Amino acid sequence: MTGPDAATATPAVGTPTPVATGADEQQAEPHGIGASLPTTDGLAKAQGTYPYAADLWAEGLLWAAVLRSPHPHARILSVDTTEAVALPGVRAVVTHEDVPGDAMHGRRVADRPVFAKDTVRHHGEAIAAVAADHPDTARLAAAAIHVEYEVLEPVIDPERAFSAPPLHPDGNLIRHIPLQFGDPDAVGEVIVEGLYRVGRQDPAPVGAEAGLAVPRPDGGVELYVASTDPHTDRDLAAACFGLEQDRVKVVVTGVPGAMGDREDSGVQIPLGLLALKTGCPVKFVATREESFLSHSHRHPTLLRYRHHADAEGRLVKVEAQVLLDAGAYADTSADALAAAVAFAAGPYVVPHVFVEGWAVRTNNPPSGHVRGEGAMQVCAAYEGQMDKLAAKLGLDPAEIRMRNVMATGDLLPTGQSVTCPAPVGELLKAVRDTDLPPLPVDDDESEWLLPGGLEGAGEPGAVRRGVGYALGMVHMLGAEGTDEVSTATVRVHDGAATVICAAVDTGQGFATLARQIVQEVLGVEDVRVLPSDTDQPPAGAAARGRHTWVSGGAVERAAKMVRTQLLQPLAGKFGMSAELLTIADGKITSYDGVLSTTVEEELAGKELWATAQCRPHPTEKLDDTGQGDAFVGLAFCAVRAVVDVDIELGAIRVVEMAVAQDVGRILNPAQLHARIEAGVSQGVGMALMEDLRAPRGIIKRPNLTGYSLPTALDAPAIRVVRLIEERDVLAPFGAKAASAVPVVVSPAAVASAVRAATGRPVSRLPIRPQHAVARPQG
Amino acid sequence: MSTYARQAARNVALPTSLDEAVAALAATPTAVPVAGGTDLMAAVNSGLLRPAGLVGLGRISEIRGWQYADGAALLGAGLTHARMGRPDFAALIPALAAAARAAGPPQIRNAGTLGGNIAGAAPTGDSLPVLAALEASVLVAGPDGNRELPVSHLLTGMDPLRPGEVLAYVRVPLLHAPQTFLKATGRTGPGRAIASVAVVLDPARRGVRCAVGAVAPVPLRPLEAERWVAGLIDWDGERTLAPEALTAFGEYAAAACIPDPLPAADGNAAPELPPAAVQLRRTVAALARRALGRALA
Repeated sequence: MTGPDAATATPAVGTPTPVATGADEQQAEPHGIGASLPTTDGLAKAQGTYPYAADLWAEGLLWAAVLRSPHPHARILSVDTTEAVALPGVRAVVTHEDVPGDAMHGRRVADRPVFAKDTVRHHGEAIAAVAADHPDTARLAAAAIHVEYEVLEPVIDPERAFSAPPLHPDGNLIRHIPLQFGDPDAVGEVIVEGLYRVGRQDPAPVGAEAGLAVPRPDGGVELYVASTDPHTDRDLAAACFGLEQDRVKVVVTGVPGAMGDREDSGVQIPLGLLALKTGCPVKFVATREESFLSHSHRHPTLLRYRHHADAEGRLVKVEAQVLLDAGAYADTSADALAAAVAFAAGPYVVPHVFVEGWAVRTNNPPSGHVRGEGAMQVCAAYEGQMDKLAAKLGLDPAEIRMRNVMATGDLLPTGQSVTCPAPVGELLKAVRDTDLPPLPVDDDESEWLLPGGLEGAGEPGAVRRGVGYALGMVHMLGAEGTDEVSTATVRVHDGAATVICAAVDTGQGFATLARQIVQEVLGVEDVRVLPSDTDQPPAGAAARGRHTWVSGGAVERAAKMVRTQLLQPLAGKFGMSAELLTIADGKITSYDGVLSTTVEEELAGKELWATAQCRPHPTEKLDDTGQGDAFVGLAFCAVRAVVDVDIELGAIRVVEMAVAQDVGRILNPAQLHARIEAGVSQGVGMALMEDLRAPRGIIKRPNLTGYSLPTALDAPAIRVVRLIEERDVLAPFGAKAASAVPVVVSPAAVASAVRAATGRPVSRLPIRPQHAVARPQG
Repeated sequence: MSTYARQAARNVALPTSLDEAVAALAATPTAVPVAGGTDLMAAVNSGLLRPAGLVGLGRISEIRGWQYADGAALLGAGLTHARMGRPDFAALIPALAAAARAAGPPQIRNAGTLGGNIAGAAPTGDSLPVLAALEASVLVAGPDGNRELPVSHLLTGMDPLRPGEVLAYVRVPLLHAPQTFLKATGRTGPGRAIASVAVVLDPARRGVRCAVGAVAPVPLRPLEAERWVAGLIDWDGERTLAPEALTAFGEYAAAACIPDPLPAADGNAAPELPPAAVQLRRTVAALARRALGRALA
């Protein structure tokens, strides 16, 4: 997507290691921090030989199928499984009556039933599961379960959730944060107001949910699933099975795409129950339809904003109301709301901020953790407001942003001081000052991919080009007092190193990073990272960039402890302290050059072990007025979008996305570029097409025809124009997480560019063609 | 890896000629003929369709090409979109080639066929408005012999396929004049049409024929707009129109395909066209104006 200019477009980058090209082949294998190590499993994944959960098999396995609710809201009058049980080949049917342990589970609040008991609260909620000796038998049996429903009126409008009868014993309000910062009576000279809506983006992983459960002789069960947070998933499952945690083991198989908490417990708990009941291995592979129905989506959000500014365009006050549609269950909605409220004013200095945020229950499809949740929705709104202010004051959209950018030392509306590097102005300057893509010359239409595509109806005369800007931020690691701890073990034996860490490589590249860290610290070339399971100490969820930070930090510490074990005897022999010895290029040398030996030689016949933990400094919960030091670190990004819009048809093509990002330190340039490109592409999808429509709470077309994703033709040229390497002193290596922040900023940048091209307000994401056509005259 | 609907069709026939196909269908009247399978197999896999048997048409080589017959082209129903998109075909029937090139990603175009597009009769079928504008007819092979009927009769269900019949050929008149097909999808990558318009010129009969796809279950022909605009064109001269005439044609055609609501029965004023319909009408108008403009350029 980025093309050959990806590497050349980063002149400001400190580490000059280019993305692997033909010229590198002569040199040694890249290794250590700052090198573009390729992933170890990349080739197998590209060739299709990598075994994912859907490819697993066990002797005598049974197949599972899940019966799901066709209604968004209904009372269950009866569930009759007799016909299903009687079908030949059916081995077990489980309903809510067969859950031996906790009937409810959930990542933050245990409010979601394993199987619906009295009420179904969303379309696709699980009611029963079947194990049979053939997948079709299982499906037929699931269809043969008779459920009598009393259909209830669904609550689908989150604004009506406040007054609607409670959908859940816990009530309809999941969280309310009334953030108050500054003087409520402050008024600016210029005021703009806006109402913004953000749609329901689906994580749409490449591989649908799948898993294999294998019962153990000790009465426990092993779950082979594509979990991104194996220990939490194990704890949830064990509680529902009524088993001790150590009798349930979650083994992480390859993860075929994750944009958040993959593998909703809706797969592994029914699977485990069926395996325990039948005593046989049980496998489940979700269809694409089931995947859309069951997993969590991005929160659809309604945002009302009022921005006050002085005559020079400096922000005085931001007032906002943010309403997140959480769907039927709480999941991580409270966390998403905290991010939405805390970042409601964006990376700008605003003296007075008043935000009311609510996350409410509805009968819509469930919402949960999807990259940049909360931060993405508010970014679309506050950047829309900045464009409105610029228009009202007659300022350039980049200029008004420049006048308000935040820097290190400024305060967030939560009262927290920004202590990490916050080079927001520099990022904006980088994207603003970079060259615009050339306009297609009139005589060369064949080269110009018009909005609407190669065989589309695009007409050059109706196409307008627009340029838009957006700035945004996300927090890294869990917020508000989450204990973010990770443990890693490094073992060196016979000149090779092994890393044991339960941090899951979801494709974000943690395994590659762990190899690089050990290579850097120990000078060992041959590093293996073992697959994750819950027999290893917990490492937490693969989300919010925490593994780069916390698990990477744990690996580094463990590697340093091994290094000390290695160097201590040497140093003693030469009568100097271990600190005076350095490891570089596989050699150990002393400061004065007296000692020189190779790592290989010193490691021969030795086996060294060390285990270390990394726990970043604690955070606190936001108080009743939304104040508190809730975040460990922040990452920033600026994007300039260039779009072509056919103003008669409303067709939009994103021509180029120029990205400048605050990355702390580049650990693996190729991987970093890939993460940014992936994030921008996902953001473009959110901006232009990704919206899982659920009129009246029912997902009408749960498939990849109904839910469109960006293809190669939709994806823009992505230019990384600047990566700012200001090390975050708190983070191990000073590196910041890179995946989430481009997702947060890109949709807002595209919307801004479409505003510039069409003159329309563009207050809804994704942008539909009818909102991108120029208003007809008169 | 899909693990379901594996045994959906145990009974598969693979005839190598039309006669064999007709015989296979006669032997298993509940079997479903399948060519590219791009729509059909998706329905099978998702459990919407459980055919008792399949008759694969992919090995019938006689319907995978085309031939000339009395100033018309006789197109095999098994012609793939990829084949129709190639330049030699585009020289023959440009609008059909353009529709074929716009019909989804390469994987779909390689498998999907002209006959499948007609038999599937999806409102968004890209070749359908072109066939409607060309006033094409289909040749059907069946147990009682062959018969020919207009495509529109088949699509509207006026004269549906009878049991045991297979779509064999499509007869398309060769007009030797510009034709265009335009499609709005709202995105740059392949997508289903929001609206599509085919315009063909017929200089011999001094006619303009236009069909609008995807806005109704079947392609619509704005006949009055066609006749009106054909009367404006100087067929013996430059064959150009003023921009205002093109715009008027677009609006005429769009208003015909997305009509204003009828006045209420109680004599009250007609309800307003909903905003989505207004937008669709505007899209059709822009497409029709551009399509005719390009055909006359």
